[in-house]
Amino acid sequence: MWADESETKILYVQTHGITDPGRSATPFFLAASAAAMEFEVMIYFTMYGPTLLRKDVVDKIGPKGDQGQPLRYFIEQATGLGVRLLVCQPSLDLNDLSLDDLIDGVEMIGGAAFNSLAASADAVISF
Amino acid sequence: MIPKGDVVPELSAAVADLVVDCTGLACPLPVVKTAQAIKNLARGQVLELLATDPGVEPDMRAWSSRTGNDLLGIDKQADVFRILIRRVK
Repeated sequence: MWADESETKILYVQTHGITDPGRSATPFFLAASAAAMEFEVMIYFTMYGPTLLRKDVVDKIGPKGDQGQPLRYFIEQATGLGVRLLVCQPSLDLNDLSLDDLIDGVEMIGGAAFNSLAASADAVISF
Repeated sequence: MIPKGDVVPELSAAVADLVVDCTGLACPLPVVKTAQAIKNLARGQVLELLATDPGVEPDMRAWSSRTGNDLLGIDKQADVFRILIRRVK
């Protein structure tokens, strides 16, 4: 799934969701920085992470709750630089979500794909 | 680190082809905006970044070295860092 094996590749993992807004934005910041450095970057949302990608949430909360920039701003900063967003079905089930509940552009993978991405990444950074 | 208020003479004489003003913007925006803006320059042209983010010096050194562009120098006057980067890649 990595487009270019010769690039530096970082896989971020976000496990926290909307109940902990202070943990919501940093993976997007770091992913955007990495993409600006011309690294290939993906963020995998698991456990409660997929709740951060809900269509009905991204304009309502940000890292400082309902103050400051909303999540959509940080998400689009990252995706605008080419960062890819990944989820898996069990994590959607855990949060009673379907892919249709999430913003456009989120890609579905499974455990084998995640492990393959992790094994071939230069760094895996988990939050 | 460059001491506050120190001016690097050769930097003062350099003329940038494009100025990116990121004063008042926090990490990661100086890096992100530099990465986007430098694509508007031809190879060999110089970008001048103005920023107040206190982490911008190590950030731009890392960014330049990773992207293969040439960091010509950094100076700081009052709270504003001025960073000159020549597009190489």
